Amino acid sequence: MNEILLSNEVIVYLLAETVLYLLLFIAFLVTLGLLKRWNFDAFTSEQFQLENRSYLVMTIILFVMLLKILLLPYFVYTIDRLSDLVPGAMCAAGVIKANAYGNPLLSLKIVILFLSGLWLSINRLDLGAKNYPYMKLKSWFFIVVFLFLSAEFILDILYFTHIETTNPVSCCSVIFGQTGGANGLPLGLDIPKLLILFYLLFALVVLTLLSDLLLLSLPATLFFAVIAYYAVVYFFGTYIYELPTHQCPFCMLQDHYYYVGYLLWGLLLFGVFFAIDAAVMQKIFKQPAETLKRNALLLLSLFVLLCSAYVAGYYFKNGVLL
Amino acid sequence: MVILEKVSKVYNEGTTQAFEALKEIDLHIAGGETVVLSGVSGSGKSTLLSLIAALDKPSSGKIEVGGELISKLPDIHASAYRAKRIGIIFQHFNLLEALNVEENVIVPLINSGLKTEEIRQKAAKSMEMAAISHKASQQVNALSGGEKQRCAIARALVHDPELILCDEPTANLDRANSLKFIEILRSLHHMGKTVVVATHDPLFEGLPFVDRVIHMEDGRIVEPAGAAPSADLTEES
Repeated sequence: MNEILLSNEVIVYLLAETVLYLLLFIAFLVTLGLLKRWNFDAFTSEQFQLENRSYLVMTIILFVMLLKILLLPYFVYTIDRLSDLVPGAMCAAGVIKANAYGNPLLSLKIVILFLSGLWLSINRLDLGAKNYPYMKLKSWFFIVVFLFLSAEFILDILYFTHIETTNPVSCCSVIFGQTGGANGLPLGLDIPKLLILFYLLFALVVLTLLSDLLLLSLPATLFFAVIAYYAVVYFFGTYIYELPTHQCPFCMLQDHYYYVGYLLWGLLLFGVFFAIDAAVMQKIFKQPAETLKRNALLLLSLFVLLCSAYVAGYYFKNGVLL
Repeated sequence: MVILEKVSKVYNEGTTQAFEALKEIDLHIAGGETVVLSGVSGSGKSTLLSLIAALDKPSSGKIEVGGELISKLPDIHASAYRAKRIGIIFQHFNLLEALNVEENVIVPLINSGLKTEEIRQKAAKSMEMAAISHKASQQVNALSGGEKQRCAIARALVHDPELILCDEPTANLDRANSLKFIEILRSLHHMGKTVVVATHDPLFEGLPFVDRVIHMEDGRIVEPAGAAPSADLTEES
């Protein structure tokens, strides 16, 4: 067994994922039964048993999904810690590239974070009603999420069992090599255009959320999330590291930078999620979404402020920009 | 007011210890009716009350109270239903011993959203109705059994419920206090409240204000009957 699987963080992570997956697998089997026999209008013993069982199984799913959300930052922390074991890796950026499974796994985890959040919102609606109106919908949605979770579990195993501690990875040689950062940017953008787009999209997201144009806010928020990622990696991140050639999404998660990456990425992910959730709840479920919109505005504004504060702070301290 | 259709309750369902406490009960109780459920211990009276109060769910069947389907209420709504529509008086009073009488009476109104002054007024009215006002500031653990019961009555009435459920309310009371309790029940009946009393106390048989005495046996209603006029209970109380 290699050193990776013997590290404390990986043992805890894989153990937690395995236990949670087993719980989800049981919930999946029960949910299939619920979908087959559920009839709320019946007053039979079988239906009462299904309702009791559904309450139990939905509580299990709720518990697991909340833990899965907490496990995402722990996963990032784990791979960051593994950089000590993987030659060439200075942070999680190198470790995630240690094999072909890393990046798909991280992307899948972010997709699952959003899907789990949506499931939790639908579940809250269902529990808030007296007659389980979304029971079937949330069960079908869980089945879909479970397929993603199964893929994630398989990728988790494949990823951690295929990290070689003998082959050097190309962590910083690639990331540091992109001076100016323009090479890595999409759509032929350069840094000034990227920043203009970043702030314009943020303004668009704020306006669409405030003016209830939620169908427009959905694509605007998703586009903002993509542009914000590049803006942080290729511009704002360099002010966190105070080094223009250091363009890494992961180093800011380390203690040298006071773990600010967790806050920064957390604000972005949860801000984007609340904006999407607001659109889904209001447009599809016809539910009031004022709190969700307020949360999205607050988190995304804090994200933009925090990014901008690093640039402003650097300028006030040194009198120049990087 | 209360409609039960083919209501059954099985404890430990699906196990070897399965016990059928209620068997396909059909029962209609009109608004303003005072009904006594009688029967020996284990006949299903308390189970029936707990289902009407949404403290538990049936194994099958339909329960409606005031037009609201309660047999399938999720727990969070069941609590709201009880807080709004039901007053329960328990055999063992279920008071909070560390609090005084007034504080116990106020408990159901804690999350009502009412102002403190309104809550105090409602508590005072309720304590007066239950004849326990004079002990308002007394710690509950210093009360006699009868006083505890009157405190429990005040607590059950403080939110002005439509339906009052009493589970063996006189089981821990002496005869004098039991008769006082019956007097309070009579007042509630005259106020138009719907009252359901589960008891095996013979004092409740033949009360003039009781509309029906329903006999239960082995989880079934065996004899729904109208009440016969009482002999001399009114004088005694």
